[in-house]
Amino acid sequence: MCDHGKNIYMPHLATIEAMHDETSDIRSFRLVFQDEQVRENFTFRAGQFAEYSAFGAGESTFCIASSPTRKGYIECCFRSVGRVTDALRSLEVGDTVGVRGPYGNSFPIEEFYGKNLVFVAGGIALPPLRTVIWNCLDLRDKFGDITIVYGARSEADLVYKHELKEWEERSDVNLVKTVDPGGNGPTWDGKVGFVPTILEEAAPAAANTIALVCGPPIMIKFTLPVLEKLGFADEAIYTTLENRMKCGLGKCGRCNVGNVYVCKDGPVFTAKQVKAMPQEF
Amino acid sequence: MSKMITEQNLRLLIDTLVKEGARVVGPRQAGAMTLYEPLTKGDDLVLDQLPRRSAKEAFFPVCETILSFERKEGKTTVQDVDVCTVPETVLIGARPCDAAAPGILDAVFSWDYKDEFFLERRRRTTIIGLACTKADDACFCTAVGLSPAEMKGADLFLTPLEGGGYACEAPTEKGERLMARHPQLFDDAGNAKPLPLAEPAVEKLDLQKIKAWLDGNFESPLWYGIADRCAGCGACAFLCPACHCFDINDEGTADKGERRKHWDACGFGKFTNHASGHNPRDIQNKRYRNRIMHKFKYYDDKFGQTLCTGCGRCIRHCPVGIDIYAVIEEINKMGARDQGPGTGKD
Repeated sequence: MCDHGKNIYMPHLATIEAMHDETSDIRSFRLVFQDEQVRENFTFRAGQFAEYSAFGAGESTFCIASSPTRKGYIECCFRSVGRVTDALRSLEVGDTVGVRGPYGNSFPIEEFYGKNLVFVAGGIALPPLRTVIWNCLDLRDKFGDITIVYGARSEADLVYKHELKEWEERSDVNLVKTVDPGGNGPTWDGKVGFVPTILEEAAPAAANTIALVCGPPIMIKFTLPVLEKLGFADEAIYTTLENRMKCGLGKCGRCNVGNVYVCKDGPVFTAKQVKAMPQEF
Repeated sequence: MSKMITEQNLRLLIDTLVKEGARVVGPRQAGAMTLYEPLTKGDDLVLDQLPRRSAKEAFFPVCETILSFERKEGKTTVQDVDVCTVPETVLIGARPCDAAAPGILDAVFSWDYKDEFFLERRRRTTIIGLACTKADDACFCTAVGLSPAEMKGADLFLTPLEGGGYACEAPTEKGERLMARHPQLFDDAGNAKPLPLAEPAVEKLDLQKIKAWLDGNFESPLWYGIADRCAGCGACAFLCPACHCFDINDEGTADKGERRKHWDACGFGKFTNHASGHNPRDIQNKRYRNRIMHKFKYYDDKFGQTLCTGCGRCIRHCPVGIDIYAVIEEINKMGARDQGPGTGKD
């Protein structure tokens, strides 16, 4: 008699329902689970991630970029930089991918009710905040002011451009978009400057406000002191660690920062938690 | 009455188990090496050599298929692997350092998500441990709380006797059942005395003191120096009975292929490399620090156990002569200086 449990490495199958080229090398997918039960029962929270597979090439780790308030599908966004992401990019609408997850912890959105939110994102790190942004916008009356500071190297490197426009046009969102110096074209109507500088200029009030920051390590490094200067406590700043992962299940041994397994204890941490870790991320 | 088994009957036990259809894994000659490998007959068993690699392969193969996939007429299907096909296995002749390790790994393979590939092999394996009568310069089990007579992890434990044969103890029901199924192979031990066991030439270290030092010294000059000559070959991790890091890779094409778990090693530069090129452990010293920290602090933080059984393989076979015992002995000394005399307890 064999009474073992399930194979934890088995992915669900999902169909690429739609795709969009965000930049020349970043593509987003909308995925629909093929199994009806999975489609109905798959739930996740903003901030969780999944292992996406291009069969024959392998698995890669990305956040779930859509909001849990939008049912029936999930979205992800990836840059082609290696074997798996190149293979994912070679797929077409209607093709099948594998999805394992959702894994990891999430943003404690209920704790943000009644507060102002400041989102700070750089480059391809908008997707892990986009899930929270839409989650909060879909529950708009539960939050105070919503400010989004988003920047990339150049106009061409901004992702979800059509949504930036949508946020810009909404009266209940304050979008501050920026590109690095030299990254602006002749028709650019946003700011020019690095994200931390532009954040300091925008100077969102820290009182009763939560800051959510995602970006390359260098952006985070320079953004945290700005937030501190603006009066944000470390407990009021949330970020995600984007360590390399394989299993996503706390076994394969590569995503740890000290004794913290990012795949299980994270990927969402407060700045206070991040500062308490060995500085090796 | 305590039991014993003659060497002849021990080999007969293997023959019997093989005939019954069990997979029997034990030390055997494989070319120039002794390895834990499937035995086809009792005479294959090599009793006096420590196998080159650990016994972890019996539970955690070097490479293992975890699923397969196929695409036909545009439709992709995924096929699960039936772990019920894992054979009933007897691991025989496991040294205390090898017998203790799988039980330590149960924690990581079963917290929250359960890796049934490992766990089903554990459930289906009976471990027959063997006390060590000789140690070499690299052995240090006694430094990390084990010993040549340690039964931890063994279902049945054999201790060599003066005049031949082995005293048998069954610390678990699995071991008792194995003895009960083959009563004719076991005799009363009488007054037979055990042979003197090995005495590794190391000091017993204070693992709590080592951990306490590691708790406070993520940044230390120690880390910059000890691994300067590490070539990052991963041999230490692959030979280690307790290292369990792995990679997941696809073999084949989208039309037909398999997904596999492969051993991996934290000593490899690409192990933690981000897609962006950013690497949290970008130099070898940081990778070696992670190795020490994982074994003597992180695993203890998470699961209350040390991820090292003192088998000495990483010392014995390191191509550049890095000695983990020397490293933890140094940490033990620094810990003692920082924290004063110990309590005398483990």
